[in-house]
Amino acid sequence: MRGIITCWAAVIRTKLAEQMAYRSHFALSVLLLIVGDLVAPLVTLLVYRAGASFPGWSLHEALLVQAVFVLAKGVAFPFFFGMVGTTLSQVREGTFDLLLLRPRPVMFMSMLGGFDPEDFGRLLSGAVLFGYALSGIVAPDWQSWLQFSLLFIASITILCSVSLFLSGILFRWVGSSRVFDIFDAVTSFGMYPGTIFSKAMQNILTYVLPIGLIAFVPASALLGKSGWGSLWALASAALLLLLGILFWNRMLRNYTSAGG
Amino acid sequence: MLRRINRKCGVYTLIDVKNLTRTFMIHERGHTLSEVIRTLVHRPMKEVRAVDDISFTIEQGEMVAFLGPNGAGKSTTLKMLSGVLHPTSGEIKSMGLVPWKQRREYVRKIGAVFGQKSQLLWDIPPSDAFYLNKAIYGVPDKEYKETLDELVELLQVGDVMRKPTRQLSLGERMKCEFIMAMLHRPELVFLDEPTIGLDMIAKENIRSFIRSMNQKKVTFILTTHDLDEVELLAERVMVINHGRIVVDDALSGIRSRLGGKKKVKITTEKTVNEGLPPGLLITERMNLLELELEIDTAILPLKTFISQFNETYGIIDMAIEELPIEAIIKQLYTGESSIS
Repeated sequence: MRGIITCWAAVIRTKLAEQMAYRSHFALSVLLLIVGDLVAPLVTLLVYRAGASFPGWSLHEALLVQAVFVLAKGVAFPFFFGMVGTTLSQVREGTFDLLLLRPRPVMFMSMLGGFDPEDFGRLLSGAVLFGYALSGIVAPDWQSWLQFSLLFIASITILCSVSLFLSGILFRWVGSSRVFDIFDAVTSFGMYPGTIFSKAMQNILTYVLPIGLIAFVPASALLGKSGWGSLWALASAALLLLLGILFWNRMLRNYTSAGG
Repeated sequence: MLRRINRKCGVYTLIDVKNLTRTFMIHERGHTLSEVIRTLVHRPMKEVRAVDDISFTIEQGEMVAFLGPNGAGKSTTLKMLSGVLHPTSGEIKSMGLVPWKQRREYVRKIGAVFGQKSQLLWDIPPSDAFYLNKAIYGVPDKEYKETLDELVELLQVGDVMRKPTRQLSLGERMKCEFIMAMLHRPELVFLDEPTIGLDMIAKENIRSFIRSMNQKKVTFILTTHDLDEVELLAERVMVINHGRIVVDDALSGIRSRLGGKKKVKITTEKTVNEGLPPGLLITERMNLLELELEIDTAILPLKTFISQFNETYGIIDMAIEELPIEAIIKQLYTGESSIS
């Protein structure tokens, strides 16, 4: 465990040093990510200002779902999601070999290599939005906060699992940058309160593609709209993570390097 | 012979490879528009045998070169030896471990330098990349400092350690790649074209470093197309072609396979005709009176050649040289029958 923490510390230091080599690029990237993540909440704001709404959801409640979504991405993207991009390029170029030459688990090395400090910009925009959304709702009690904290861990776990699935696909589906589009298309449903969808769609987004667990379920807990029963999401996230790990390691066997 | 000498020195078999085979399935298609469109529906696959049933052993402290034309199977063999790829069949036991099964334990004992795949980080100084490697390999602080100081001094890169990698010359970068590969003090190092693109001075510095590490019983396995490098570094050469080892010998042994072939540069008083006796071949005609010949002394002894040639054409000047290693290797690659 100490070795793993040392590795993370060294990687964070190194990646920050890399970013500081191009400070303006870093600052601009962070800014663009913040702006990009605030587009959907701004549209929501415009919708409510125009008199429309998501049925059963006030503006601040709807924004809370979107804030949780951006916050979850703000944690998961810097630490886990970068591995999708690095797998994409390293498998295509054959430089994934270099990770296999390191005396650490390959998946761990892949996550380390994909660590991206720029993505912390999402955390900042998520935090601002979260604060704004909280200011307009009844203050949650400690039980709601506890439920939310546990469900937020499940949310991060789901995003980590999704990263593993997308990254794993790239060992077989070499060089396909479309995995990012797939991610954006599928997870965009998670930015809205689940109850606005049909019952069938809600079931799909909860039990088949657990996108609803990324933001809707944790936000509902904070709003006191779900009981302790919603903690089944923890087991569901753990199972998905296990499947993601198995899938990634299975797909790694397809790696054939590149010509020498 | 080489292995016998090594055994006397008390070293052991480091790598034992038996019947190693690796096949790949590759997509195959033609270049016409209809063939390209057809591949949208169905892509025919073809099995390629990159490495075909090879066996060999390597002793501790050896310096072995893998030679072969592009696509011969050298890099695939190297990747299996380093644990990056697993074989389709066959066995590898290296330092008592199976590389692809005990990968983490194994790679801790090996290093690798790829001339075309950098392990440094482009935008930040090499010292930062070394620090990252230290954390990944779990090298203790004291050992790290001692090793780094030693390597920096040996390779004379003290003044470039804090410059961004992108600002270093290719030679400086390669030296730093060697430091990356050696920081955890590996027993076995794989070098894949380590001096590609370097100037003569940088090449010599790197070669001298490799020799000094080899004297400390570090085993090196080298793949290269630079035959000078092979002559200067490798005690043993394995020539791989079409996935098979065609020759596994010391360089002197490979030379002797050509029998008594020599290169003769000669200037004569009269123009030399095309119709030459058996054992003689004109390889280049510089002008009417100057030419380069290849002579097989097993067929035409030197003494006879000089006497006959002098009598017929009158020798003004003559230089006899060993056939260059390039010529020998070329014949091995093309599988010419003149090599026994």
